[in-house]
Amino acid sequence: MSFVSLVTIPQNTNNPLQDAIVQSINLIDYSFGTGVRRVVIKPNLCYYWDCTTGQTTDPFFISSLIDVLRQRIGYDIDIAIIESDASAMRCKYAFRMLGYEKLAKEKNVRLVNLSEDSSNGIDVSCNGRNYNFLLPKTIADADLKINVAHIKYTVDPIKLTCALKNIFGCNPYQKKFKYHNDLGNVIVALNKAMPFDLTLIDCNVAAGVQPRKIGLVMASKDPVALDVVAARIAGLNPDKISYIALAEREGVGTRTYVAKGGEIEFYRALYPRITFIMKSKGRVKRVLVKVGMGRRLGLE
Amino acid sequence: MKTIRLGLIGVGGIGQLHLKHALMLPNVEVTAVADSSKSALDRAKGFGIKNLYVNYSELLRSSDVDAVLIALPTHLHLRCTREAAEVGKHIFLEKPIAVTVDEAKEVIASAERYSVKLMIGYPMRFNQHFLKLKDDVANGLLGDVESAHATYVCSGPFVHRADGHSPSPVPDWWFNIELTGGGVLVDLGCHIINLMRMLFGEVVDIKGRFGYRYNMDFEDSAVCLARFSSGTLATIDVGWYSQEYLLRLDLLGSVRHATVEHMPPPTLHALAQMLTKGISSFNMPHYRELQYFVDCLQNDFDPFPSGLDGLRDLEVISKAYKNSLSL
Repeated sequence: MSFVSLVTIPQNTNNPLQDAIVQSINLIDYSFGTGVRRVVIKPNLCYYWDCTTGQTTDPFFISSLIDVLRQRIGYDIDIAIIESDASAMRCKYAFRMLGYEKLAKEKNVRLVNLSEDSSNGIDVSCNGRNYNFLLPKTIADADLKINVAHIKYTVDPIKLTCALKNIFGCNPYQKKFKYHNDLGNVIVALNKAMPFDLTLIDCNVAAGVQPRKIGLVMASKDPVALDVVAARIAGLNPDKISYIALAEREGVGTRTYVAKGGEIEFYRALYPRITFIMKSKGRVKRVLVKVGMGRRLGLE
Repeated sequence: MKTIRLGLIGVGGIGQLHLKHALMLPNVEVTAVADSSKSALDRAKGFGIKNLYVNYSELLRSSDVDAVLIALPTHLHLRCTREAAEVGKHIFLEKPIAVTVDEAKEVIASAERYSVKLMIGYPMRFNQHFLKLKDDVANGLLGDVESAHATYVCSGPFVHRADGHSPSPVPDWWFNIELTGGGVLVDLGCHIINLMRMLFGEVVDIKGRFGYRYNMDFEDSAVCLARFSSGTLATIDVGWYSQEYLLRLDLLGSVRHATVEHMPPPTLHALAQMLTKGISSFNMPHYRELQYFVDCLQNDFDPFPSGLDGLRDLEVISKAYKNSLSL
């Protein structure tokens, strides 16, 4: 059984995000321990969409987290913000366009493109299959690994992008679309290869079917439990998201959770959930795009 | 009527759309396609194009091509246009005409030197609503147009998710101002400036306020204030920051006001248009401009928007960059 905290960002404090992060961490009884020198933070950078879309982590959230880490652990810790190139996204542009270059200068932290990091091969098995990934040195050397994810819908059969899926971006291999036919297994395998210590959810702006400010911060040591709660908030049945169950079977975490702080139902009511009609329209559009009519219909 | 044998150079985003339209046009035979991308050539092969080239110079040497449609990155416009003109191919060149004003002049000079026709791709000049607006302004239906407001915002090269299909990679050249000549004012602003010049005459003065939301070397938003020879004062508001597409002109006249938009129709509406007309209203201006270019070649007319039109637009943009306002 794992703790999952849900905290509403306060309105009337000097550092609302910092306060929400601290409260969410306290609620799960998380301790940063001793001897932490190197910290990596993995935000969710998705293409070149800024944080107002709800698709990417707000650099201000990361900035607040850095302040919390320095207060709790020490001001001399080495902090690296990590991301890798993707099929359609280049880190060098995403870091700059999404405000991370500016953040790195202001907070004196490193930005690491994992696709350019030195790495060693790592073998991992998942669901009866064997995988060989590259483990970036920055991740391998870190004493503390923090995953800062979002709650987003994504394509079938994955359905949900949250804590587990965000680790997909730690795979330094750029042409990630090659994994898309085996995405569930690969996500779980990567979580086994690169287990993170703490996951935070920046759901100040939720993505959903449209962005909406819901002011939620979540925390858990267990990405599986966190994804179960996230799925419920997004109006999805976590039992129907196969890779969450697979992650539990593979020992990444447990689907049994204790929610602390806010009520799941409260945030579920705020989350811009997908409806049956929207789903149907989306399917029609996807088919039209697939058969090459997207641009001609003005969908692209 | 003589069949025009067309070669397409560059079949990425907009080039692919032109290819589809060219294949629909009567009296046009797409004889060749050139693109440095193998996947782009494979797509062209899927449309039944037999002569495929990785190097556009080879396409230009082909005797099966009367005219070329150039939809390459902006920094390649001059080189490709010059080569095409030298071998006597008529040219349809995507906007903007070139990276700089000097290069634009060279583009025009090349076409003139070898007596080939040159048309710059400004599809909004073929949008029937904007054309009606032009007539209304010219015929005095609006009275004196004191002020006009043009808005063109979308995600530009940073193509946003459309109901689940993956985002498109942005080619590196888009991030290099030396290769593009500017940011959103060049990419989207040139459409608006060209339209407004059609409505109100030449730009007498222009000032611009530029936004850098994405922290790049080029502007991703711009609001310009322009005075036209007709006396109209206009705002030109363009941006790459929005997931929602909007292209709209608001004209405020002493007699009447007018608002014209160019927006994608609802999907089902677009589908119905595709099934009945083979093309959606959103892309009709692109189809018409190509049809017009072919007409010009068949009837030996000088096409518009001409190279000079493209040059004027670039001069206005250059002036706006120089007259940057800080607020």
